Amino acid sequence: MSTVSWITARGLFGRRRFLLLLPLPAVLVVLAVLSRALGVDPGEWGPAVLVGLGLAVVLPVVALIVGTGVLGAEIDDGTVVHILTKPLPRWQIVLPKLAVATGVSAVTVAVPLYVAGVLADSVRLGLALAAAASAGALAYSALFVALSLVTRRPVLLGLVYVLIWEGLLGNFVSGTKVLSIQQYVIALADRLAPTGLLEADVSVPVAAVMTALISVGFTVLAIDRLRSFSVAGETS
Amino acid sequence: MPEPTGVIHDIGYQRYTGPRLGRRQVFGALYLHGLRTAFGLGRSAKAKIFPWLVVGIVTVVAAGATAVRSQIGEVVMTYAQFADNMSWLVIFFVAVVAPELVSRDLRSGVLPLYFSRPLPRSDYPLAKLLAMATALWLLLGAPQLVMFLGAAFTTGDGMRGVWNELLDLLPGLLYAGLWAVVFASIGLLVASLTGKRAFAAGGIVAVFLMTTPIVATLSVMPSRAVNELAFLASPSTLVQGVGVWSLGDLLITENGAGQTESLIGDFGPVYAVAAVLLVAACVTLLLARYRKVAAR
Repeated sequence: MSTVSWITARGLFGRRRFLLLLPLPAVLVVLAVLSRALGVDPGEWGPAVLVGLGLAVVLPVVALIVGTGVLGAEIDDGTVVHILTKPLPRWQIVLPKLAVATGVSAVTVAVPLYVAGVLADSVRLGLALAAAASAGALAYSALFVALSLVTRRPVLLGLVYVLIWEGLLGNFVSGTKVLSIQQYVIALADRLAPTGLLEADVSVPVAAVMTALISVGFTVLAIDRLRSFSVAGETS
Repeated sequence: MPEPTGVIHDIGYQRYTGPRLGRRQVFGALYLHGLRTAFGLGRSAKAKIFPWLVVGIVTVVAAGATAVRSQIGEVVMTYAQFADNMSWLVIFFVAVVAPELVSRDLRSGVLPLYFSRPLPRSDYPLAKLLAMATALWLLLGAPQLVMFLGAAFTTGDGMRGVWNELLDLLPGLLYAGLWAVVFASIGLLVASLTGKRAFAAGGIVAVFLMTTPIVATLSVMPSRAVNELAFLASPSTLVQGVGVWSLGDLLITENGAGQTESLIGDFGPVYAVAAVLLVAACVTLLLARYRKVAAR
């Protein structure tokens, strides 16, 4: 474990506000257990909990908070200078941070999704959801880490993507679904464990290729942006 | 023992002798400043991007609905339904504005400066809350006014038509006010917990988005009472529940009439009480928060 990833992990876990992340997965598990215990048909609560809460809210929001936190928080309070002045290639800064962000969000999301998937259908669905959510966590983290280098307001821009692009437009304009990580995750999970609970709108090859493309592309963009990063005070 | 040799020089500091404004002016200044901050007025272009993006989208939607109505004659959405349909944008707007209003002051540590004025502890959060609610109300009310103007100028039956439109508009504006108060109090409470705007925005969105699927899950539970009370779980559906109870036919168009009416059953008053309690609780916690933070 490199020093950079250690610092990043400590920056994430060392603050009290990390506890704010816990209610999201907890609600997911509680709702799944509650529905299961009351004997509701999984066909009714499955889509609402697994997709509506798990893949559409918990995954992007956790990835957003963690992904913009690993680098954005340091840029915000100016301590990023300490890392930038060390004789490290830029990729050795971006990759460990991306790895920590992906790992944290993947664990935070995949574990409750696995539990909910097992309760909804089978162990296979649980594993499929966990695997797909981890792939999604990688893509989301790459996107949000790159965003925090491209703009000074990464969280708001990320929210525009999550709320307006995936949430609002995804419901009305089906064309935007081709460019939505959420849809890729659903397609991948549905391919790994075909059940009636998940409805995929994009084909599996498209989903796999686009997930890989987004992960690699935004990582390269982040490394490139960090290469010519200018440390400026905040205006306005 | 030598005589003390120090002297105090008069270097020309002057006392302020003009009129001193009191509590009301401080409150008014804070309120006006908060309202301007909400829309990024008096600030750089970067601060204007996100608020005006939301304002632009809602205005375009209202203009589109007006155009469809005047051309085809089909009512796409009523005034009251407008707020419901814009709920995602309202959440985003709260996530943009609330951290700007309170988190910046926490982060830069200027609260002692505020509280060294003739300003009671409770006035600061209340002024911010009022500014936030006004901004939200303007966001939801202004497009309704656009829709009203469009409908009023294309109405077929003269002044009577305009009057009927006005009677439809006023409950819509009141309903927008309810949205504004509920969302502003929750948003400001969450934002006042952290000085980091990024975390405040994420927290606000998490609170609002996390609660919506809970409603969807509770409404398939095998109990009629739980189903009808499910909409209490999320702020936006809570507001809609109050709207369905108080406005009734204005919020529900013919196609979904019987269905939505039965969704909350006879629990309408419960929703109204819950909304009042929610706002009261948020304001109380907000005031408690500022009693503590100021002493830091």
